[in-house]
Amino acid sequence: MIAEQLAANIIYGLLLGGVYGLATMGLSLIFGVLRVVNVGHGAFIMVGAFTAFWMFTLYSIPPLASIVVAVIVGLAMGFVVFMTIIRRLLDAPELSTLLATFGIGVFIEELSKFFWGPDYVGYSWDIGGISLPFTELPFTKLYAFGSSIVIAALLYVWFSRTKLGKAIRAVVEDKEGAMVCGINVNMVYALSFAIGIALTVTSGVLVTLFTPVGINVYMGGDYTLKAFVIAVLGGLGSPWGAFYAGFIFGLLENGSYTLLGLIPGVEPFGLTRFVSFTALLLILLLKPTGLLGGE
Amino acid sequence: MRKKVFVLVLVGFVLFFAGCAQQPEEKPTTTTPAATPTGPKEETLYFGAPISLSGKFAKEGQMSLWGMQVAAQWINENGGIKVGNKVYKVEIKYYDDESKKESVQSLIERLATVDKVKFILAPYSSGLTMAAAPIAEKYGVLMNSHGGASDYIFEQGYYYVVQTLSPASKYQTGFLDMVKTLDPDAKRLALVYEDKEFSRAVHQAAKEYAEKLGFEIVYEKTYPAGTTDLSPILNELKAANPDVLIGGGHFADGQLLAQQLAELNINIKAISILVAPSLPAFYEALGTKAEGISAPAQWETGVKYSPEVAEKLGVEWYGPTQEEFIKMFKDLAGEDAEPSYHVAEAAAAVLSYAKAIEKAQSTDVDRVREAMNDLEFMCVYGMWSIDPETGKQVGHDMVIIQWQNEEKKIVWPESAANAKPCYPMPTWDEKAEGKTCGS
Amino acid sequence: MFKFKSLIIPFAIYIILIAIGLSQPGLWQPIMYIMFYIGIGVALNNFMGLTGYVDFGYVAFLAMGAYGMGVALGYFTYLGIWAIPLGFVLALIFAALLCTAVGGVALRLRGAYFAIATIGVNEGLRYLIEGAKIWGGSEGIILSGKLRKTFGPEFANYLSTFVADAALIIIIFIASVITVYMINSRVGYALLAVREDEDAAKVMGINVTKYKLIAFFTSATIGAMIGASAWTLKLTYVFPEDVFFIHYTVEAIVIVMLGGAGTLLGPVVGGLIYGALKYYLSVILPGFQLLVFAPLLLVIVVAFPEGVVGFVKKKLQERGIIEYIT
Repeated sequence: MIAEQLAANIIYGLLLGGVYGLATMGLSLIFGVLRVVNVGHGAFIMVGAFTAFWMFTLYSIPPLASIVVAVIVGLAMGFVVFMTIIRRLLDAPELSTLLATFGIGVFIEELSKFFWGPDYVGYSWDIGGISLPFTELPFTKLYAFGSSIVIAALLYVWFSRTKLGKAIRAVVEDKEGAMVCGINVNMVYALSFAIGIALTVTSGVLVTLFTPVGINVYMGGDYTLKAFVIAVLGGLGSPWGAFYAGFIFGLLENGSYTLLGLIPGVEPFGLTRFVSFTALLLILLLKPTGLLGGE
Repeated sequence: MRKKVFVLVLVGFVLFFAGCAQQPEEKPTTTTPAATPTGPKEETLYFGAPISLSGKFAKEGQMSLWGMQVAAQWINENGGIKVGNKVYKVEIKYYDDESKKESVQSLIERLATVDKVKFILAPYSSGLTMAAAPIAEKYGVLMNSHGGASDYIFEQGYYYVVQTLSPASKYQTGFLDMVKTLDPDAKRLALVYEDKEFSRAVHQAAKEYAEKLGFEIVYEKTYPAGTTDLSPILNELKAANPDVLIGGGHFADGQLLAQQLAELNINIKAISILVAPSLPAFYEALGTKAEGISAPAQWETGVKYSPEVAEKLGVEWYGPTQEEFIKMFKDLAGEDAEPSYHVAEAAAAVLSYAKAIEKAQSTDVDRVREAMNDLEFMCVYGMWSIDPETGKQVGHDMVIIQWQNEEKKIVWPESAANAKPCYPMPTWDEKAEGKTCGS
Repeated sequence: MFKFKSLIIPFAIYIILIAIGLSQPGLWQPIMYIMFYIGIGVALNNFMGLTGYVDFGYVAFLAMGAYGMGVALGYFTYLGIWAIPLGFVLALIFAALLCTAVGGVALRLRGAYFAIATIGVNEGLRYLIEGAKIWGGSEGIILSGKLRKTFGPEFANYLSTFVADAALIIIIFIASVITVYMINSRVGYALLAVREDEDAAKVMGINVTKYKLIAFFTSATIGAMIGASAWTLKLTYVFPEDVFFIHYTVEAIVIVMLGGAGTLLGPVVGGLIYGALKYYLSVILPGFQLLVFAPLLLVIVVAFPEGVVGFVKKKLQERGIIEYIT
């Protein structure tokens, strides 16, 4: 009985972790390249969620296909935000970008509320699932998980094989050196920011595949918090670390439930959050730069 | 550098004008000369409201604002509030509190002093109502709660706070009565709700009530606010094999609960979820999966409250009829908008003020509060009467709604119902094949 | 006492604000609303501004203060009026305990790692309180009834509408003095070195951890005092969801950055701009204030990346007046 539930929770934790991982990669990439902590991260996830929702509701486009739309929307938003605001702040004190991204986040949320209203919406893309003896696995969640792995893998290939990808890595390693080698650092910044935002918006689509309901303009807050924590767990600035850390976080959140349920007189679901955040602190105590973080 | 100075000046100007813009509003009780010298004197009476137009209660806030405006409009079109030889027109003075406690306190004070408002419509949610209460009490203004359901607000001894909506302890009890009547053998009850003060209050009261009715509690767990995956709890719930489920908390998690019950194929005979199913967005999001799911509601389009019913019961009717009410709402909010119960409860709060002022024949806060003690009337929202001591709403009854064939039907209590309950609800597999309640 | 000259401007701002609040009807709460923002700005600045470390979980200290006061008033109501000083003491103790725990773990981390580890502390603590049902769990502590029974309704109201506000004002005055003292003392100089280059400071023999902890502790206790008075005493309830709401930290950071980090005047000006702007926009444009507020904020950031005070300071480098601005 307990073993079965533990198995179910671990599987769900893994699926959730995949989504968390992708939802954090954008944040890590932007931090890694530009040293900008995007406090408005959640707002971009929300935009992705609404993209999936509107595409499905208005044009019956399945959410998997709206990933393409989300990438385009994300790239465009990323470029615009970079060109109008972030670019001007690159030489400013490191923290002033915090203020800027906070403002951007609030602005995007309020603008979305202006156009889309404060409703909690959702969509139903019912495509069945796999029946296991101890739980049911809907295909939508499996697709979310699969797409997140595929996107991460594509990104990895792009980073290691293409010239632009290599240029970005060069800038992360050594900005001055990259400049000397003739890499246009500003272009790399713009590109990385746009890709980071595109990843985040895309993850918003996957978030709705996992949880197709409760889509709201203020939904991003919780994801921002989790993304921050996962990013640090994985080693800030390392998108791959973020991806692995997503799994760990998802597993801790859901997997610890069964064990915590054995303690009488507490609310085990609430305590799973305590466990995952405490684990973060313990890991940082052992390895102050996260799991895959360098020096 | 010039540019920066310019920006600084610009910001200064915005602040300056922001400060000035409020000047004309400082004297709200402007006397407009009466049309004929012998006619009644017409004055404007302001009801004040801090409203959550942004932040986490933005949805409910917008709905309540529309409700208040509809009620005010109806009062003005129907002769205003007559006190002596004066006629008061009602206007709602509102500010956005961003769903935050700090803002609520400033805005209540502003309403009470700058705008000289004596009658306040409390902010949405129990927490914000609690934050407002000490300030309202300080300035001796009346506060009418249309969105703060928790019982404890009225157990603190605030004399000037009265309640229009039914308290939290009443939310799930009607549903339990209904199930007991429909199927005395459905004894296995499960509770799965959000770990928040409001849903806790609702479900603790419901649990006590259920035990009295003879239900057996087979499962009870909470989930933290903001969760996006309920599978750990629901996998356990499935093993507990309940007949009846009550739970939920708010919009997002209520939708999630229904969605994941379907995904995990957990079939239960009757489900009642707080808040979420009472909005059309619930069905739009879930489609046929929403069929048969019930929810408690303070009010619902189609309830059988009308001047005729009032007459039969021997109580006074006040305010628009349901048809008028919905028409006025749609004129204000747009053709596509559907009024949620937040609209009706906010409207009722405004109507109760108007009625009490007329009854007291005064706009003095103490006299109006006293008049409220034995005020009893029916409006589109239902009955209104309070417990004189605590100010808690006792007259109003909640209804149970259920999604049937793409429509929200009222199924309980029988006296207000416009459809029979669909019990047991179709299984998830049946619903996936398109079966609905009533097909 | 040359160095305290710089207190003149912030004190003048406080006094003018209070005078406006007292003389203009309906402006007392709005002024307190602004004062609250100034308060959290000044409190956070004592750590963030001086060390250059960002603490995203800062709100946890306000929460500890709120719970300290909440526990005192809720569980020791029989002490009568003495429950209030006990509340402040408990607030201090809770904050100090958390400070020790966080200081021990998180302060070893650098930069963004520290910033985000503190989110973990804040969220973890909140879920511990909710999940393990400590101090009422998610139902929180509700005090008004108890206060009204113990002290009578009049005095209970007086507590939340006067005493709480007065306490906040006193805390802000004291906090500003502490800031000046810190900036101009050995602690301030040491932290300046840390801010510039932590490793170099270490090599030079500065006990980096000690000074960071001093700043952290000071800032945390001021935060706890604000939580105890501006939240628990004033609102008469404590809900975990409310007091651990991370948005307050973000607001505090915005205020510090807006005004200028590490300066005395910065958070005061930042809080004033932030609070006044938000209040008036919510009055004249209810529902749309944030839509206007966000672009304004962006314009200010782009125009004054070092904060408004930072910018003014730079402009006035050579003038005599500079010694009044820190």
